[in-house]
Amino acid sequence: MKTAMIKSQKGFLLLITVGVVLALFPVIGAPRLWLLYLFIFFIYLSLANMWNLLAGYSGLISLCPAAFIGLAGYTMTLLTWVGCPYYIGMILGSLAAAFFALIISFPVFRMKGIYFAIGTLVVPEILRYVFIMWVPVGRPLYGGGGGYPIKGVSQVSPALTYWLALAIALISTLLMRFILRSKLGTGLAAIRDNDITAACSGVNVFKLKLVSFVIAAFISGIAGAVFYVYQGYIEPSSAFSIQWLVIIMLATVIGGEGTEEGPILGTLVVVFLYFSLASYAEISLIIQGIILVIIMLLAPQGIIGFLRKIRN
Amino acid sequence: MSILMDLATPIVMGILLGGLYSLIALGLSLIFGVVKEINIAHGDLVILGSYFGFVGLTFAGIDPMLSLICGLPVFFGIGYGIQRYLLNRAFRISMDATLIIAFGISIILQNTYQLIWTPLSRGLTTSYSVESFSAGPIYVPLVYLLDLIVAIVVMIFLREFLKRTYMGVAIRAAAQDWKAAQLMGIDTNRIYAYTFGIATAIAAIAGVFLGLTFPFTPLSGMSFLIIALGVVILGGMGSIAGTLVAGIAFGLAQTIGGYFFGVSAQMLVAYTMVLVVLAIIPRGIFGR
Repeated sequence: MKTAMIKSQKGFLLLITVGVVLALFPVIGAPRLWLLYLFIFFIYLSLANMWNLLAGYSGLISLCPAAFIGLAGYTMTLLTWVGCPYYIGMILGSLAAAFFALIISFPVFRMKGIYFAIGTLVVPEILRYVFIMWVPVGRPLYGGGGGYPIKGVSQVSPALTYWLALAIALISTLLMRFILRSKLGTGLAAIRDNDITAACSGVNVFKLKLVSFVIAAFISGIAGAVFYVYQGYIEPSSAFSIQWLVIIMLATVIGGEGTEEGPILGTLVVVFLYFSLASYAEISLIIQGIILVIIMLLAPQGIIGFLRKIRN
Repeated sequence: MSILMDLATPIVMGILLGGLYSLIALGLSLIFGVVKEINIAHGDLVILGSYFGFVGLTFAGIDPMLSLICGLPVFFGIGYGIQRYLLNRAFRISMDATLIIAFGISIILQNTYQLIWTPLSRGLTTSYSVESFSAGPIYVPLVYLLDLIVAIVVMIFLREFLKRTYMGVAIRAAAQDWKAAQLMGIDTNRIYAYTFGIATAIAAIAGVFLGLTFPFTPLSGMSFLIIALGVVILGGMGSIAGTLVAGIAFGLAQTIGGYFFGVSAQMLVAYTMVLVVLAIIPRGIFGR
């Protein structure tokens, strides 16, 4: 027990040290390209952490991260159009995503297992059609329907978006550590292993699942909002695209679903693939699909699971 | 009275379109009912059928229906291989693994189509695909009628196959209780691969008729998959008659929704219906 505590503290210190070093990068004048790679890494890592919380720890194969990302991005964008500064828009946007998660939990939590996956798959598609048709403010500029530039973010320095993304990546990683060592984490582990037994032992299955779903929506939302601050515009087809899910699922599965370090390693691999194959977009996705299938067949616990197996 | 007259066209079109939807959903329902897995790549396999017809038509001038008949064994083989070498293994890992692997297959297929056939929208244009006929005040495109007829024919074939052949009985046995089926000496892995093969062949049929009815892109699979999922769940998994009724319900929802809320809203109506069905009757109307 004591050694586990020390090990855990070591991990915490390592995380903080790495965080501080990464935070210094823009100050010491790291190349712009590096900052971009790291920025994308931070965003994907936050999203993968939250997907891992749901799929790896709560037994919820959620196929709707794009709903939270797009909704938070859109709320922020629309708020900047009515004169709200983007940072308030970011917070309100992620609150909107969390609130949306709360609302859709009523229909989708009635579905179990594979039905839950189908239900959540439909949600971003519905939102995409809503935002293609609905043009709430101004005139549509980008894309077919409600595409907008985000007002007041052209002055935001790349360093600031970098720090924001870093902060969210750190928060999401620390939050995972915290959740897994809390009562919520033990309850979730019990649910994942056998939800009926957990319910019989007095675990409030619905409540715990709902809490992790809403937390995941909030953090995914804020990560999405930061991404759109960097991108400067938003449009429905990419905001609610299944592409988000592909990246997030790939990052989590490659690293190791249901392991704490998995998303970090997996996101590293995904970002590396993303940039090294950037000029061959289609081939890149085919390769990613093949990797997804192979990893799932040969090492379902991902890289982390594979390493653990070797060590034992 | 006049609103009824106006509604006549969307209602007829909806019923006929429902034939196409139930044909698309039939393979998915078969896999869902027998193997108990959701094939997320089903929509993309349907689109593979559309491209198969497209290639035959543009490069050799062969009628899509004719090339379909030659292509069915190929599609059966593809489906057999996917289940035998990929999904049967995933089974032993976990339920999530089959879902994620099917998702991976979907990504691979979509992007392969983009690579080969570019992201442009394609269609199967034959001499009869643009023809329509009139029944009273209603103009009906010929292919829509063809969709419903073919759907019913395929369903009758499938039903008889499951009822009367040795393989069909084995498939039903594996669907009801795979452990008992194994004890009776049925190789369930092989049965699952056969089922997936048959479902893929049906997907190819659906794909060709989809191509005759609508234009398609490499990414069309996802939107048809979602409607097919709604159809499968509303109809109850593995129920053939239920699939037809649910397909028609979705066809009607789409055309009537389009009539009231405009054409751009018709997919929105269908998708919302999927979510409502999932939330309210996840076991479907014909579900066991």
